[in-house]
Amino acid sequence: MARVGVFTCFCGANIADFVDVPRVVEETRKIREVRCSIEYKYMCSDPGQQMIRDAIVQQRLTSVVVAACSPRMHEKTFRKALSDAGMNPYLLEVANIREHSSWVHQKDKKAATDKAIDLIRMAVAKSIANEQLYEISVPVTKRALVIGGGIAGIQAALDIADARIPVTLVEKSPSIGGRMAQLDETFPTLDCSQCILTPKMVDVASHPYIELIPYSEVIELDGFVGNYKAKIRKKASYVNFANCTGCGACWQKCPVKVPNEYNMNIDKRKAIYTPFPQAVPNKPVIDAAHCTMLLKGKCGICAKVCEKGAIDFKMQDEIIEREIGAVVVATGYDLWDPKPYEEYGVGRYKDIITSLEFERMVSANGPTGGVPQRPSDGKVPKTVVFIKCIGSRDEAKGIEYCSKICCMYTAKHAILLHHKVHDSHAYIFYMDIRAAGKGYEEFVKKAQVDTAATYLRGRVSKIYKKGDKLMVRGEDAQIGQLVEVEADLVVLATAIIAPKDNPNLARLLGISYDKYGYLSEAHPKLRPVETAKAGIFLAGCTQAPKDIPDTVAQASACAAKVCGLFSGDTMKKDPMVSKVNTEFCSGCQNCVTVCPYGAIVTEEIPMGHGSKEMRVVSKVNEGVCQGCGSCVAICRSMAINLSGFTDPQIINEIVAI
Amino acid sequence: MKKLTYFPGCSAHGTSEEFDHTLKLVMKTLDVEMEEIPDWNCCGATSAHVMTENLAYALPLRNLVLAEKFTGNIMGIACASCYSRMKTTKVHMDENPELAKKINSTIIQEGNYTGRVEVKSMLQYCYEDIGLETIKSKVTKSLAGLKVACYYGCLLTRPKGITKFDSPEYPVSMDQIMEALGAEAVEFDFKTECCGASFSISDTEIVESLTGKILEVAKESGAHLIVVACPLCQSNLDMRQPDIEKHQGKSFRLPVMYLTQLMALAFGYPESDMRLKKHIVPVEEALSNIGKIQEPPPKVTKTKKAVSAESEVE
Repeated sequence: MARVGVFTCFCGANIADFVDVPRVVEETRKIREVRCSIEYKYMCSDPGQQMIRDAIVQQRLTSVVVAACSPRMHEKTFRKALSDAGMNPYLLEVANIREHSSWVHQKDKKAATDKAIDLIRMAVAKSIANEQLYEISVPVTKRALVIGGGIAGIQAALDIADARIPVTLVEKSPSIGGRMAQLDETFPTLDCSQCILTPKMVDVASHPYIELIPYSEVIELDGFVGNYKAKIRKKASYVNFANCTGCGACWQKCPVKVPNEYNMNIDKRKAIYTPFPQAVPNKPVIDAAHCTMLLKGKCGICAKVCEKGAIDFKMQDEIIEREIGAVVVATGYDLWDPKPYEEYGVGRYKDIITSLEFERMVSANGPTGGVPQRPSDGKVPKTVVFIKCIGSRDEAKGIEYCSKICCMYTAKHAILLHHKVHDSHAYIFYMDIRAAGKGYEEFVKKAQVDTAATYLRGRVSKIYKKGDKLMVRGEDAQIGQLVEVEADLVVLATAIIAPKDNPNLARLLGISYDKYGYLSEAHPKLRPVETAKAGIFLAGCTQAPKDIPDTVAQASACAAKVCGLFSGDTMKKDPMVSKVNTEFCSGCQNCVTVCPYGAIVTEEIPMGHGSKEMRVVSKVNEGVCQGCGSCVAICRSMAINLSGFTDPQIINEIVAI
Repeated sequence: MKKLTYFPGCSAHGTSEEFDHTLKLVMKTLDVEMEEIPDWNCCGATSAHVMTENLAYALPLRNLVLAEKFTGNIMGIACASCYSRMKTTKVHMDENPELAKKINSTIIQEGNYTGRVEVKSMLQYCYEDIGLETIKSKVTKSLAGLKVACYYGCLLTRPKGITKFDSPEYPVSMDQIMEALGAEAVEFDFKTECCGASFSISDTEIVESLTGKILEVAKESGAHLIVVACPLCQSNLDMRQPDIEKHQGKSFRLPVMYLTQLMALAFGYPESDMRLKKHIVPVEEALSNIGKIQEPPPKVTKTKKAVSAESEVE
């Protein structure tokens, strides 16, 4: 006779406010197999778990039902409680009466209570048919794949590699460095971005445990945690890196000029180019979309001037395969396009630029040699208006969220402007000043006091042209009046947005993303670097807008997670996998066809009854099986069962209601 | 011949009579038969929708129901405010059949609302249903030499979700029509700034300050005159102009003409048909620029062998 214990959680007020827990306890106690039914405010806490452990011993329970939150939240916690009491952890069932009842039926307490009772009834019935299961051990491939070579990817790769774990770093552009390589100085300490970043880039290139694959993209990821297989497409660079010395003769002579992405298209680069002089690897690539030799078969000057014969116009894309155990995704961010701000004349006025364009102008290695210039006439601007929250916190035109870094970089820009043009004046239109961070508020004060930037609280409603000036009209909400500033240059603090390729990448990796395209973490507070898919981690702005310190911290956290995952030679895996009953298996192999993971193979076994003849049956590779149940559904002879979700368990659940 | 169900609104029969008159001339040239809705009523304008939702919907809905009795599928409206009320009502009724039924019940003696008739401003009708090519083909007297600032006001393209026409902040449809007539539409930043609308009567100072700014920017843009498609905009910009000049100590002398007046002119109607006597700021001097074409500066011809749109070869 089964002896089941039911443990119902109040979850503080989360469950108890909408589900009548005492009635649940009273009703579930009446179920024939239930030996004890206990309630507690926080079942996941130590006293709560102690109740479960005590009841298992005292009541000699054969299975346990915890009625609480989603099993995604605390199934592991309660399984451990069972283990600690000497019980097989897979004799636990979780009835999710929070997400499935109290949270979704807040307007009807009676219905929510009835549903909670039904859910528990089902869990009790299922648990009676639970079997003792044991974790499966699978081998681990100790190599990490890092996607994206900005500061997040660089930091994660270096930290993992320093633990002597091989890393493959894939970067889609010709050089690593990412957005940080475009920055001049960084808040709040104003240290030079290049000076703190480029040494790290060099470390990546020279690290014995890092394999850097630039100008390439991940196109496929198969397998599961510890045992992934990645396919990487290395785009044809048309330059043989082994021969190239990076002398620069090719790009000096190349006649084709293309807008320079690194400088936000302010100046031009060549069709054969390195993105910037400090690039890693410092080898040029040919931009196939613009090279006249590749497009029309004319030119070829670069090949003529290259003394090493490194130019190869016949080079093809290459597919590289790597076996890896974990993935760190660090694809960074894009910037919101301010075109919808038509009332500002965006797109019509050359002297309205974005913050990153301004950043490139004030950069020592930028297109204007570190001095800001008006794009219209090249004059040095004296009055510059900065407008914050362009696209961010704007439901009508852009996105709802706060882009997080714009308050700080705008303060930085005001300071940099003052450094570069001493007799200039900055006006900053803002909604709020969000300067939460170490040294951040002090930094904004510096912009306000030392630089004497004029902070105007209010939105700009209109920008119009007057002579060669831009008239910026906005509200100064602190004095309750309209103000107009005659500006030489207007800088729009455009919001961080998720890279537009993120949804495709998420589908390719099998992870989820939110409505903005940011990749989703497993839990917003307690698992901020993991994704819902085991072995895939997130670093930097691909998950949400972040500044450099936060990005670096998250990247290092990813590295710690990867190192933890690789700390043993094998990994434990839940035993919820399919099992074939070979006595029933007819060898039709439908299951082989439907299995999305390629986990089912066939084997030959004797016919039986002393016959020497053999027959074909299916066999599940437990390491690969993800327990999706597709094979169970397709099997016409009911020869396959999914451990933990067997037919008797499911039928018991149905019968119970 | 196209058929257009015409809703003039109160101003077309009064203050903006020149709009109404030239509109009819233009439509005749464009081969459009206008059928004015008999017994049309007030759209409710600014008063109804700040007082009661029921009335704000019922007044325009009655006109919409009456328009359905004509064969034309489009109701063309001469006034921006009438257009806004009529279009808003139509959109809300079509989105919410329950509400439509409720409001319809108050005017049921006029008939059942089906939503068959589309609502368009005359600007939108000219732009979408006549088309720039047709307009261009009817021009017999090009307006070349005339520089115009197109002023749309606040309602012709707004709110975006209701009008679903042109840009709410920097519209270009009227500019393109003007260019089809041969005129030059100058870059004008105050296309959709508020003119102060009906505050003209209750608080004239507000209108003088807002309209003054529009006139100032229009003057700065180098335009000879301002083109409008809204009677209230016209009256604020034109009628208040002498006072604004006096109070602000400036001189604009910027005539304000209706879109259709310039269309009629380009289609070959004589100036005497423009009802120019109705203008406060005299128009004649501005119109004398027609035909005075300045020699364009010699173009610097670049011989570039462009590889693609965004790259160039030395």
